[in-house]
Amino acid sequence: MTQYLLNINPIAILVHAAIPLTIILVYALVAIWAERKVAGFIQDRLGPMRVGGWHGWAQSIADLLKLIQKEDIIPADSSRFLFKFAPFMMFAASYAAFAVIPFSSSYIGSNINIGVFYLLAVTSVLTLSIIMAGWASNNKWSLLGGMRSAAQLVSYEVPTIATVLTVIVVTGSLNLMTITEMQSGNDILGFLPNWLIFQNPFLLVAFVIFFISILAESHRVPFDLPESESELVAGYQTEYSGMRWAMFMLAEYADMLLLSLLGATLFFGGWNSPFGEFMSGPFWSFFWFMLKGLLLVFVMMWIRWTLPRYRVDQLMYICWSILIPLSFINLVLVALWEVIF
Amino acid sequence: MELTTILFYLFSIVTIGAAAVMVFSKNIVHSAFALMFALIGVAALYVLLYADFLAATQLLVYVGGILILILFGVMLTSLGYTFNFRTITVNLVPATVLSTGAAVLLIFAFVTTEWKITEVAERPDTVYDLGMMLMGDYILPFIVAGVLLLIAIIGAILMSTRLSAENKGGT
Amino acid sequence: MVEAFKNSWITFKSIFIGMGITIRHFFGKSVTLQYPDERPVLPNNARAKLYVNIDDCIGCNLCARACPVNCIYIDTVPSTSDVDLGKTSTGNPKRFWLTRFDIDMAKCMYCDLCVHPCPTNCIYMVSEYEYSEFNRTNLIYHFSNLEPAMVAEVKEKAANEAAEKQRQREEMMRKKAEEAKMKQIEAKKQAEEKNDGEKGSEPSKKENGDS
Repeated sequence: MTQYLLNINPIAILVHAAIPLTIILVYALVAIWAERKVAGFIQDRLGPMRVGGWHGWAQSIADLLKLIQKEDIIPADSSRFLFKFAPFMMFAASYAAFAVIPFSSSYIGSNINIGVFYLLAVTSVLTLSIIMAGWASNNKWSLLGGMRSAAQLVSYEVPTIATVLTVIVVTGSLNLMTITEMQSGNDILGFLPNWLIFQNPFLLVAFVIFFISILAESHRVPFDLPESESELVAGYQTEYSGMRWAMFMLAEYADMLLLSLLGATLFFGGWNSPFGEFMSGPFWSFFWFMLKGLLLVFVMMWIRWTLPRYRVDQLMYICWSILIPLSFINLVLVALWEVIF
Repeated sequence: MELTTILFYLFSIVTIGAAAVMVFSKNIVHSAFALMFALIGVAALYVLLYADFLAATQLLVYVGGILILILFGVMLTSLGYTFNFRTITVNLVPATVLSTGAAVLLIFAFVTTEWKITEVAERPDTVYDLGMMLMGDYILPFIVAGVLLLIAIIGAILMSTRLSAENKGGT
Repeated sequence: MVEAFKNSWITFKSIFIGMGITIRHFFGKSVTLQYPDERPVLPNNARAKLYVNIDDCIGCNLCARACPVNCIYIDTVPSTSDVDLGKTSTGNPKRFWLTRFDIDMAKCMYCDLCVHPCPTNCIYMVSEYEYSEFNRTNLIYHFSNLEPAMVAEVKEKAANEAAEKQRQREEMMRKKAEEAKMKQIEAKKQAEEKNDGEKGSEPSKKENGDS
């Protein structure tokens, strides 16, 4: 695969690589607007209404233009190189992970054999970039946010990986494209699609654990301790402004989408249509895939405006005392189920 | 020049440069971040050698795990995270002798070894082969390593619980 | 173990209850009023901006006295006898020229206390609430409809009449004083005449007093 890619036209590579970037950028604009609309509707408000006519759809674009024009402030006592580098590294890590996501039945960035493993490995760099931002800012809030984020991500990586392992035990492949292809068809009980979540009761438990873990991994409420606005100002983003801050925001939303799409691929059949052959094909498969991912993103937003934030010790307790043992027990049970049936 | 070669030199420079920064930097956190660049560079070199599984493991274990632990250790130690250590050379004569000896040995080994050069080729299924090898030919080292790690984890838990129990007794 | 399952059951149940509530609000109607496009309908007794129907004002100064923050300034000039200012719509005769009727809305605290004392109901709150200004002095509203020339004329006339009245009064006072003097003099005369006739009785009075 690598050889194949390296031998073709560089422009073709760039175009190939730009497809996920386009999706991320468009999604981020929509998602930031949607987040504010969801917040507004849940609180019986309207959210942004004024920019661009219908329901303020151009609000994110206006915000982006504002952020581009802002001054790039770098604190005097900061570590300049690391301070400047951290947001780009964070976005690079999120973006690199999109390479193995099968967006459609005919498009995947890189169809490598170690797909999920690569994704988990690359996203672990996110933690480092957050520590980097937190430390380089030379600010107590930033450092606290960075440390919390590191502790949180390192801890929650374990249940995430354990639940991903349960799926791998069932599918026997690390390649996300193969995993998706295995879930096509409507055979369960005659009408249900062959999605993994319907195949095995223990995979439902695995999905619940996985969803809780990805909430923590993408710093969403109730696990948004790294940037908890009300206690740490904004955590590791405190000293950032303008475009660098926008990069953090973009990376955060990209991370959210990435983990949601991963969840959709692993448990909800990826780009498979829920109606079997009906409405399938390259374009429709992209539509179904994004629909599933965005639904999960919506659930994340919904949870954000419902639940309060956990304390640090509760966060660690949930992870180490509940999720990790449960996910390992679940892994064994799934393996047994696979052996027996 | 071929793209692969350009990428190889690029990542080699990144790796060596980052390693140099790591050694010569006066700030211990800067050293840690330089180590991160070096490790990522090495992972990229693995990719160029078609060892994708190894590259991902390198990222996950070293960058995502060990480096974070190092940073945690540095930041949580009492000397503080902004502590600049001074790089003074002590024990000049023995250090020179030892490092020269090591350098000579390494260069000697590098020159005299008959390096086996094989053309890099893409393997269709690295993970499958690795799994078969780990569960087949190398099952014993695999299990021994697992047991060793288990012992280390149990030891760590034991030490931390004993420490906290002592603290509770003290206060 | 049972405890743990119970706890997690309660946790999940409460999470879903909470999410149910939020999703109901998500699809519910919003309470936002998009202000410049839509405006709230204020109730009739809403307290916003003060308005004075200057044609009905009789210049009684009751509102200015009722104001707790002294934001109403009234200057009045009594009308001269040759002008009839007419009557208010409530039938009260108007006797004063209102040379100044200013309300400083920057000071006003919307207590409504000036509205109730008014005998002719000419000061009241109107439901206009968008009157912010860049300059604070623009918040002083002038309700008096007299021209400055008119004010001067009226003042002069009033002063003339006042002077005339004063003179008349002085004249009257002088006359009165003269009359009083005359009376006094007459009284004195009469008393002297009486005294002359009653002189013999004086010692007897003294005796009475001693005894």
